[in-house]
Amino acid sequence: MTTVASGLEVSLAMSQIELDLNVVMPEILMAIFGMLLLVFGVIRGKNSLRLVSYGSAIAMVFVAYMVLNLPVEQENAFQGLFVNEWFSSFMKVLILMGSVISIFLSLNYLENNNMNRFEFPILILFSTLGMMIMLSANDLMTLYMGLELQSLPLYILAAFKRDNLKSSEAGIKYFVLGALSSGLLLYGISLIYGFTGTTSFETLSQTFASDENISIAVIVGLVFIISGLIFKISAVPFHMWTPDVYEGSPTATTAFFAIVPKIAAMGLIIRILFGAFADLIEQWQQIIVLVSILSMLVGAFAGIVQDNIKRLMAYSSIGHIGYALVGVAAGSIDGVRGVIIYLTIYMIMSAGVFAVILSMKKNDRMVENISDLSGISKSNPAMALLMTILMFSMAGIPPVAGFFGKLFIFQAAVESGLYTLAVIGVLTSVVAAFYYLRIIKVMYFDAFEDKFDKIQGKSLATIMTISGIFALCFIISPDILFSTASEAAQSLWAE
Amino acid sequence: MIISTIVFYALAGVLILSSMMVITSKNPVHSVLFLILAFFNAAGLCVLLGAEFIAMLLVIVYVGAVAVLFLFVVMMLDINFKDLQSGFKKYMSVGGLVGGILLAELIVIYSSWSFSKSAPENIKFKTPDITELSNTEALGRILYTDNLFLFQIAGLILLVAMIGAITLTLRTRDGVMKQDVSDQVNRKREDVVKIVKVETGTGVA
Amino acid sequence: MIELLTPYAIQVAFIVLKILLIIVPLLIGVAYLTYAERKVMAAMQLRQGPNMVGPFGLLQPFADGLKLFSKETILPDMANKPIFVLAPILTFLLSLMAWAVIPFGELFGKTLLLSNINVGILYLFAVSSLGVYGILMAGWASNSRYAFLGGLRSAAQMVSYEVSIGFVMVTVLLTTGSLNLTEIVMAERPFWVSVMLFPMFIVFIISILAETNRTPFDLPEGESELVGGYNVEYSSMTFALFFLGEYANMILMSAITVILFMGGWLPPFGIESVLIDWVPGIVWFGLKICMILFIFLWSRATLPRYRYDQLMRLGWKVFLPFSLVWVVLVAGVLLATDSLPV
Repeated sequence: MTTVASGLEVSLAMSQIELDLNVVMPEILMAIFGMLLLVFGVIRGKNSLRLVSYGSAIAMVFVAYMVLNLPVEQENAFQGLFVNEWFSSFMKVLILMGSVISIFLSLNYLENNNMNRFEFPILILFSTLGMMIMLSANDLMTLYMGLELQSLPLYILAAFKRDNLKSSEAGIKYFVLGALSSGLLLYGISLIYGFTGTTSFETLSQTFASDENISIAVIVGLVFIISGLIFKISAVPFHMWTPDVYEGSPTATTAFFAIVPKIAAMGLIIRILFGAFADLIEQWQQIIVLVSILSMLVGAFAGIVQDNIKRLMAYSSIGHIGYALVGVAAGSIDGVRGVIIYLTIYMIMSAGVFAVILSMKKNDRMVENISDLSGISKSNPAMALLMTILMFSMAGIPPVAGFFGKLFIFQAAVESGLYTLAVIGVLTSVVAAFYYLRIIKVMYFDAFEDKFDKIQGKSLATIMTISGIFALCFIISPDILFSTASEAAQSLWAE
Repeated sequence: MIISTIVFYALAGVLILSSMMVITSKNPVHSVLFLILAFFNAAGLCVLLGAEFIAMLLVIVYVGAVAVLFLFVVMMLDINFKDLQSGFKKYMSVGGLVGGILLAELIVIYSSWSFSKSAPENIKFKTPDITELSNTEALGRILYTDNLFLFQIAGLILLVAMIGAITLTLRTRDGVMKQDVSDQVNRKREDVVKIVKVETGTGVA
Repeated sequence: MIELLTPYAIQVAFIVLKILLIIVPLLIGVAYLTYAERKVMAAMQLRQGPNMVGPFGLLQPFADGLKLFSKETILPDMANKPIFVLAPILTFLLSLMAWAVIPFGELFGKTLLLSNINVGILYLFAVSSLGVYGILMAGWASNSRYAFLGGLRSAAQMVSYEVSIGFVMVTVLLTTGSLNLTEIVMAERPFWVSVMLFPMFIVFIISILAETNRTPFDLPEGESELVGGYNVEYSSMTFALFFLGEYANMILMSAITVILFMGGWLPPFGIESVLIDWVPGIVWFGLKICMILFIFLWSRATLPRYRYDQLMRLGWKVFLPFSLVWVVLVAGVLLATDSLPV
């Protein structure tokens, strides 16, 4: 009798597992692709970088297609550890795109700088897999596992130029600080778990909604969790690592850092704050407001004194994260929509900017100072023009794409009554515009020194051009992005 | 009951003392040995709680493998103890401040600790009765079913760590003699030995 | 107060008695293992072996022991004294600790063992993995290059072979479905499952040779290049403790082999017959252990020493992949044929 019953249970459980596996099919495929490519690379040995890179890019495009075409019978998997909705699918496609772009950006750089090792695209692939899991996390445990799977490859990528002192230093620094932030996050998670007895986002939000006496431990736990996540998006006060890591890492890695991981971490912050902690908005809103203001200020003022363009991009990214956090602080659908739009535009812009940085090469050596750009409008007019468009866009000057990103963010902030935040945001973007415009000035009005080497391959030029055209032509039909972003934002409020 | 209390205090006391010694002892090798002692006592505490599987894993993984590598590295490195000490004094004040603030926060948190009233029904996996189910089996039942997904991601993380260690350290050096066993075994007599019949007085041409 | 403590006192006395019943025969066993080693090797080399002290030289081990005890214990000047003294004690203690969970046989329906814990096999694995500390500490604390090199070699070697030992244990556990040693012995498996375990048995035998630092893997004490390895600086009692520990470990590893693969105290090949029913289980257990111990001695007399890189290659590039594949294979076959133990 009992054996029959347990047999029935087993068969039910099996079919449940099959359903669950369908939901995570893109992630599973991605992991399998990664491992196959790894085996391929190991067997083929040297000179497999190019093939493995193409393979990873194809795999990611395929996975992105899978993400968009998932059967929607079930959204939850593994008893709510994992969830798929339009928001996570959209963000996943975005980061997959970003990763594909950064693989193409890195190819020539790696080959020319003695880093011809096939592990680079594979690490990017696994990191992207971690981000996908983060974006679908519906439980604090999934969140943590995804976060670790995402960050571990990043530490390795930062130290990828292992014979270079700066690169090793960047790797170590990033690793130590990253481990510290993981520690903070885990401590926060354990406090929250201690109070509520659960790690599931849904149960957490129900608990906070029904319970009036929120213990102080929850608030401290929340602060720790936010601190841990804020480290990943490099917002002030956890931004110290960013300039050093951006400068020290090989430029191909820096490009990946700038384009992809922050989007995933931002998506995760939105998920957890609007999912699990939706009812604690009064508590977290003030933290986010403060972090956002500080990030905008540091990004704007510290960027002014930078000479190295990679460092400059680091401070610029701190500032941009500050603006994106304004949308989170707004705490509304419009705010989240603004963040999604902002991040999409920012990703495409920074891909373009890094395509330019990766083509800064004189006499067979990479150069990375702003002064090296002087007068290049004469030798490389097309590149200078594209860079100008991108810089305008970064600064948020109408009518280029970057302006719309900021517009929606500030609009959402004003609607939620966060006037101070909006005003500070506008003021700091004026200050930050100084250093973006300075690059344009250097390119067009400074004395011409030395021309750049011819850009190798087509990928850099293509990415640069697409990014520039996107920034310029965004105004023609912004509706596509707007409507998709609204749908994505709404899917978070669906339940 | 009395005995288990005595054992608890003994284990806990040695645990705390040895972890203090880990950070205060002057010789790094002693530090690692005290760390091992600390792991051991922690394992003892786990046994006391009835979590014998975790206790054994702690000993096998941390004491049997991780700490051996620690000890290995520490023994081989020639660490200058004086240099280590000088940094300590310099950052003592800042470290003490941060530690003090954290301690104060902890005191505030735990002195006002309360559980959510829905906490009891929130718990997803209730601890099973250990008289019916050994805790190895209990862990296996949730680890390989409900938490299969997390388990697999943990595997991926370890894979990435392995890739990282290899990428960052593997170098192909020149001039290294490598032994190929199958080559040696497959060597045939005909390939290496030539038998020549030499006529007396002519020598080998 | 006295009434309160009496039951405890009786309990404690009982446990102490049990411990003594295990340790004393074990130490005598160790003594005669050294004797057997010399006799077996002598026979293989067409010599006589010890034959002067007592009849057939049977008292030789005790004479050797007395000699060691009467010598002076030397603590080297530059040695790290506390650790130097701790190392042999630890080695000896660990080799005894493991015996707490070994089941020796069955008497009147009760298993003869000190403590029947659920995770017996893990306990054995944990204790045997601790053995490396004694050697590492001895090598370091001696403050001598030979000792240090010997210690490092031996640590690397033991850690490497532990990995494949772990996989072998996992494979056996798959077929028994329990971590408890008594249940492992009593587990019934079909004949073909035992056949599938046979390659793992070979891997295990070779790995325990490496784990106990015996020939052909006795590099830690490679006398030709390291004078005597990690225990060069030890003399008298401290040396004796290492010696006892090493041989007790050999017996322990043989006992584990017998429990995992050879059915412990049960009669060999599952024979059930009136003729041998009266033989107590502990005798079978002892005989099986002696068989494995003979392999130890046999290999010492016949095999030359491995080179260090060959040793590492064997551990990491042959045993590890093989045992990993075999674990998966056995698990797959058991699952496919639905013969996993419940």
